[in-house]
Amino acid sequence: MNTDLGSILLLQVQSIEGSIVVDDSSNIQLNSVSQQLLLSIAEQMKMPLLQISRQAEIGSMGLTSDFTNIQTLAENALSLIDGYSLGLQLNRKLSYELESESVSVSSILYDADQQLKALARLYNVQLELNIGGKYGPVLAHKKGLLAAIIGLASAIIEALPSQPDETQKTLSLATHRCRYGIVAGVYANIPGISSDALKRGRKLYGFSRQPLVEISHTSGAGIFVADSILKAMKLNLHVSRHRRMYGLGVVLQPSSQLTMV
Amino acid sequence: MTKKILLIEPDNVLADIYRNGLSSMGLNVISAYNAQQAIILADDESPDLVICELQLVDHSGVEFLYEFRSYADWLKIPIIILSIVPPYEFSCSQIGLKRELGVESYLYKPQTNLHRLLEVVGSTLNS
Repeated sequence: MNTDLGSILLLQVQSIEGSIVVDDSSNIQLNSVSQQLLLSIAEQMKMPLLQISRQAEIGSMGLTSDFTNIQTLAENALSLIDGYSLGLQLNRKLSYELESESVSVSSILYDADQQLKALARLYNVQLELNIGGKYGPVLAHKKGLLAAIIGLASAIIEALPSQPDETQKTLSLATHRCRYGIVAGVYANIPGISSDALKRGRKLYGFSRQPLVEISHTSGAGIFVADSILKAMKLNLHVSRHRRMYGLGVVLQPSSQLTMV
Repeated sequence: MTKKILLIEPDNVLADIYRNGLSSMGLNVISAYNAQQAIILADDESPDLVICELQLVDHSGVEFLYEFRSYADWLKIPIIILSIVPPYEFSCSQIGLKRELGVESYLYKPQTNLHRLLEVVGSTLNS
């Protein structure tokens, strides 16, 4: 692989960052939520590009470089960008295809599990799927819900190895019923995940490089992309717990009409 | 004798890559993913050089460096910052980083390839 490729990609991200308006006092002026999200994505994208660039350099030095890892990192970065643009489309209702439909939460979590396996392996995270129990269909935008779950899970997978706890890191994609509806979420042993941390992160993202300092060493863009997609679907991301694990989830309303059918 | 490097890098994919590169120079690399692990490893392994990211989970890297320098035994261990945070954000405190924390070099990750990192590590260890 040509090592220049990584450097070119990094320059692209730096130029996106440079295009954000900066005033005389060097304060970044962020006019809209989408610009804040764009800055968060630009910051986040540095990570996979750096990883790919350095991985390629290792290969050019004659040391072992794993092309499967490069593929996994690139695919994960692509799915984050896809999630971002889907969020924009959903928020602007740009397409007739973005209508809600009858969705099985279990099948969404199963698909997410399949897509996240390689990333979890790369980060030495054990991925679990907890979709036991019969829950009826819910009304949601299928692609949007899948992109939100993948964004959340990717952000947490990347954050897990840096957590102080020494035990094997596990991420669980799980669903359970609560009194408000059916919860779909991602759970791990990160005690830093709290409502306060999420609230603070929402205020800081786009302004701070590391808005979720208790959770992640990155900009945590996956979490904010999920937030934006869910908001477009009139849903909210909450801090949630599942079997002694901390996590982020969304409460979905079962459709009684669809259940009867 | 093989020199020992303490690498504090929260991203384990990048940590593996840097570890590979530095090991190819014949260095013994020990990795910490967070500040707490770094203090324990520094205590156990007595490194000859520390390479540190500033964006750590639950800690600012600068906060960690102040704590690190508060131990008399570690006052003279050279520190290289290898960070995703651009150096212009520290333009006001560059002197502080050098004088108070004894930071030898500040390397911005997107503009520092492995070759450059190995060069800086080599010259720091030899000086």
